[in-house]
Amino acid sequence: METWWQCEIPYPFVPQHVLDAADSVRASLPNHWCDPKIAADLYDEVLDEFLLCDDEGLNVLAIEHHAGINSLMGANPMFVGILARQTRKARILSLGTLVSLRPDPVRIAEEYATADVMSRGRLEIGFVKSGGTEMPSNHTNPVGNLERYWEAIDLIRKTLSHHDGPFSWEGRYFTHRHVNIWPRPWQQPHPRLWSATGDPYTAAEVGRRGMVHVLVLRGPDGTKRAYEAHRRARAEAGLPKVSTDNFAYAAFVYAGETEEEGRAGGEKLLWFLNTSLKSAPQHSKFLPGTAPAEFAPQIYRSAPPPGATPDMTNAEKGVVPASQNARRLMSLGVDDAMAQGILFCGTPDSVYRQIMDFYDKVGGFGHLAMIGRSGFMTHEQSVKGIKMFSREVAPRLREVKPIIPG
Amino acid sequence: MPDDPTPNRLTVEDTALDVVRRGTGRPILALHGLQSADPGAPWVDLLSRHHEIIAPSHPGFGDSKRPDDFDTVYDLVHLYLALLESLPHEKVVLLGFSFGGWLAAEMAAACCHRIDKLILVAPFGLKLGDRESRDILDIFNAHPDTVRAAEWHDPDRFAPDFNTMTDAALVRYARDRDALCLYGFQPYMYNPQLKRWLARINVPTLVLWGASDRIVTPEYGRAYASLIPGARFTVIDAAGHHPEIEQSDRFAGHVSSFIARGKQ
Repeated sequence: METWWQCEIPYPFVPQHVLDAADSVRASLPNHWCDPKIAADLYDEVLDEFLLCDDEGLNVLAIEHHAGINSLMGANPMFVGILARQTRKARILSLGTLVSLRPDPVRIAEEYATADVMSRGRLEIGFVKSGGTEMPSNHTNPVGNLERYWEAIDLIRKTLSHHDGPFSWEGRYFTHRHVNIWPRPWQQPHPRLWSATGDPYTAAEVGRRGMVHVLVLRGPDGTKRAYEAHRRARAEAGLPKVSTDNFAYAAFVYAGETEEEGRAGGEKLLWFLNTSLKSAPQHSKFLPGTAPAEFAPQIYRSAPPPGATPDMTNAEKGVVPASQNARRLMSLGVDDAMAQGILFCGTPDSVYRQIMDFYDKVGGFGHLAMIGRSGFMTHEQSVKGIKMFSREVAPRLREVKPIIPG
Repeated sequence: MPDDPTPNRLTVEDTALDVVRRGTGRPILALHGLQSADPGAPWVDLLSRHHEIIAPSHPGFGDSKRPDDFDTVYDLVHLYLALLESLPHEKVVLLGFSFGGWLAAEMAAACCHRIDKLILVAPFGLKLGDRESRDILDIFNAHPDTVRAAEWHDPDRFAPDFNTMTDAALVRYARDRDALCLYGFQPYMYNPQLKRWLARINVPTLVLWGASDRIVTPEYGRAYASLIPGARFTVIDAAGHHPEIEQSDRFAGHVSSFIARGKQ
């Protein structure tokens, strides 16, 4: 199992009363609350932590989120470019430029090809569907987002792998009359592709395409269901079985010298859930296109209608809209987060056991995306966590080799 | 009328539309706004006493299926121009509300020969303000409480209550929002070219507006009407974006008397 360290570079330094009064801590919080001097320090610290991961033998992962206290990584390609130049050994996963939000996938492919060449073939390209507050922040129609996502991926893939002169693209969502990027990517036909999704329908498409499938903070049940949808779709399409190398899981992880130190680190990571997910109803539960209209009775009501019985439609179908998942996550404490497989923390032995326990529950995975810093965690605490994990846990995970279960 | 056997489907160019049909008399084709056609709306009963009401739900709204490749206002305008051609009536009164008012204005600007008279109720469709002033409240990017206050003169009485709506009504409401967002997102609820072509409209036109409408204001309405040759502009008091709901009697009265005016 490979470990990919990440920090979303949150900006927690907004007074709590401001956050409490705002209906959203993303998209609409005025940016005068973001002090560029503090932001510069955060960039310095986290980029140094990425470089430490490189020294310590961990891979690195750069996400993209826009316009909120949860992340200052709105411009993913800039981080990928810096990491491509400044790291030496680590593989670099962009997870990723939010492709359905950008008007020109060809430009994204150009950025990725550049980073792949700069890093001499250490780039991995991940795709995230996006949604919620990202839609207004990026002026994107939330309806049709998924269709746009797949067409963007198709165009990026062709742009990266086509080397015989200009081709044209006249798709439903994107048109480009003359595609011929320089440089072409270092890795042929293109860097490995990843996709993050929890819903079984998208998971099936990820499976058919043979992408590395990432689940983010979904817990064992949702993760297992998505992995199974991935495998089942491949089997139904007559495609060969894939190993655990095709699966990844993203969770909060902090290893300390003692159980207490590990838990203290873990608790700081939960800031992400408790504070940074708050978003306005028009950007979450009422955002068109986010969940099938059939789920409106569960999503729209603030209280059940008189005489209603619990509706388990979502649970049975395995579909929980991202907004509902977010509401569930916002109130979690350390013990709950650990019990739900969202947080692995404690001593290195304990963290290793928790990860492998989760591994067994979901049928195995080959990549751990480790959210190692969040909220008010200091640079020093983050550095300590990286060193502890990379020296005491990662080597043991590396012994867990890819297998084809069953 | 409840036992009216009129079928509730209407097929145009292979697209099946859910339709509310009621009454007899000089026909009115009614194009709905934010929400799909409502067979229980009082204004339908009022106007159907003297008119044949034909009120389809646009593809993607209500129970009307949306063909996969059908996702623009262009598609809707051509669909309804085709519907006009396919109706047995030589001419119909074209009545459009809000988003449907935009469609009606586009249709009339394109071709008026099957249109008897045009009635626009708080229509979308134009960009009138400067580039930093939004004309039409972005209902997908404003807090629901803000939208509620802007949409209704008396929200406590008329705004939908999600907690008491049936499951089926909520699903329909969500489908309507999805479809509206698909069609009207970019640019938000207007066609930058339409303003130039409104002068082509050559049928009697009435523009109605709720005095309390803050989704799109009466001032916008007055400017809209001034771009259509000879159009009358009338404000209905104590009504927001849906005068046909909040003041259905007065709304129906304005519509009836406008249709009855003149030789036709």
